[in-house]
Amino acid sequence: MTKTYPKAARPSLDDVDVAIDKGEFVFFIGPSGSGKSTIIKLLLREITPTRGRVVVNNRDVGSMRSWRIPTFRRSIGCVFQDFRLLPNRTAYENVAFALEVIGRSQSVARRVVPEVLELVGLGGKEHRYPHELSGGEQQRVAVARAFVNRPLVLLADEPTGNLDPDTSIEIMRLLDRINRTGTTVVMVTHDSNIVNQMRRRVIEIESGRVVRDQPRGVYG
Amino acid sequence: MRGRYVLSEAALGLWRNVTMTIAMIITMAVSLAILGASGLMFMQVDKMRDLYYAQVEVRIFLAEDVTEEERAELDAALAADPLVDSYSFQTSEEAYEEFRRLFEEDAPDLVEVTTPERLPESFQVHLTDPEQFAVIDQRYGSAPGVDEVVDQAGLVEQIFSILNAAQTMALLTAAIMAAAALMLVGNVIQVAAYSKRREVAVMKLVGAPNWFIQTPFVLEAVVAGLLGALVAFAALVAGKAFLLDGPLEPLTVLLTPVPWRNVLLTLPALAAIGAVVSAITGWITLRFYLKK
Repeated sequence: MTKTYPKAARPSLDDVDVAIDKGEFVFFIGPSGSGKSTIIKLLLREITPTRGRVVVNNRDVGSMRSWRIPTFRRSIGCVFQDFRLLPNRTAYENVAFALEVIGRSQSVARRVVPEVLELVGLGGKEHRYPHELSGGEQQRVAVARAFVNRPLVLLADEPTGNLDPDTSIEIMRLLDRINRTGTTVVMVTHDSNIVNQMRRRVIEIESGRVVRDQPRGVYG
Repeated sequence: MRGRYVLSEAALGLWRNVTMTIAMIITMAVSLAILGASGLMFMQVDKMRDLYYAQVEVRIFLAEDVTEEERAELDAALAADPLVDSYSFQTSEEAYEEFRRLFEEDAPDLVEVTTPERLPESFQVHLTDPEQFAVIDQRYGSAPGVDEVVDQAGLVEQIFSILNAAQTMALLTAAIMAAAALMLVGNVIQVAAYSKRREVAVMKLVGAPNWFIQTPFVLEAVVAGLLGALVAFAALVAGKAFLLDGPLEPLTVLLTPVPWRNVLLTLPALAAIGAVVSAITGWITLRFYLKK
């Protein structure tokens, strides 16, 4: 699969061919500008490949009709470096919002949201606002929001980029726990510490090409 | 539950940006009021045309030295003419009576110096089709004993051309105001979408359906359009009650009175136009603004 952005001299991703099995935990690593984040965007169908195919859950995402995208995204959870929480809503409301806007009833939210907040270790802090939470706690809320619909795939774009090493490790433990429930986790990072500790599959990208694909790998 | 969310978001959006909302409603109202007024005028024009032409007549003034035979000949010709609906003859005395009735109050001196003999005899002719004046003029204008053929329809046409010009001006103004109103709608939607960009981003991320994301914004535009229509309607009702039925009442001699039924009819029309046009504008704005 190749992705060339308009006006770009060379492709952001060049002839990348990667297969990820259900339930895997995969790191995409590489320097800034190597094309890692483009992978997340392609998997979310924020962009479409210039050439080739992107298949998620047996669905060709690239050729998907635009009106199917919302339903498709419900099967995918996503976490970002900057958390992307709504500042005027509590932890509980942030997670519940994700359920409400796809049509789940409030009674479902009342049952499911405390459960998932407990799972990510935020029991007792449901009614705090994001600015009352630490960075690590905010990222936990974001993970809870991404996971509350029990997605098949969890995408994480530099989820530890804004966190200190100890907090980062806690977030990684959380992602690991989620992975063990059967959820595929795809994480883009350049945090070598974390990659070395986790010992999971590592796919290294440089200038848009896969230069290494190693099970139980380390950061170069 | 989701319906309530959509409604409260729309209300919140309008309130958050309240000065812009008011500006939008005012321009919308002015534009719709002008549109409504010219619509009412348009409905009147046809009626006025019928009314005017029913009263319009062609006058054939006879020369001072007209002979009995010439008069009788004209009489016979008019009676046989298929273009003539009806006609009557006015003697100099009758013409003088009419003249006195018209000018006695305003110009008594003029009446004093005028004698019946100075006023010509005439035939007053109603045509089956008032547009056929040219034919009548040709037929009788140079007949013996005829001084001049005068068509009142010419005057009527002048009135209508003034009305038409006024209407074109009104529609042009309405169009310009409408353009301003729609730009404001687009702007309000953009500001609303910007102030809710975080929510929108999250909604897209977690797979909220597009209609759900867009409806609050479109609804904002529709509510503003409806409020604008309501204000415009109130203005038209006030115009009818306090102007047309008030100080402008004497105008009904010239313009046929606008019935209440027509005024009330503008409410659904303006509401529909305001709501639909705003909704389309809002929706198009969103397509550019919420893309991806």
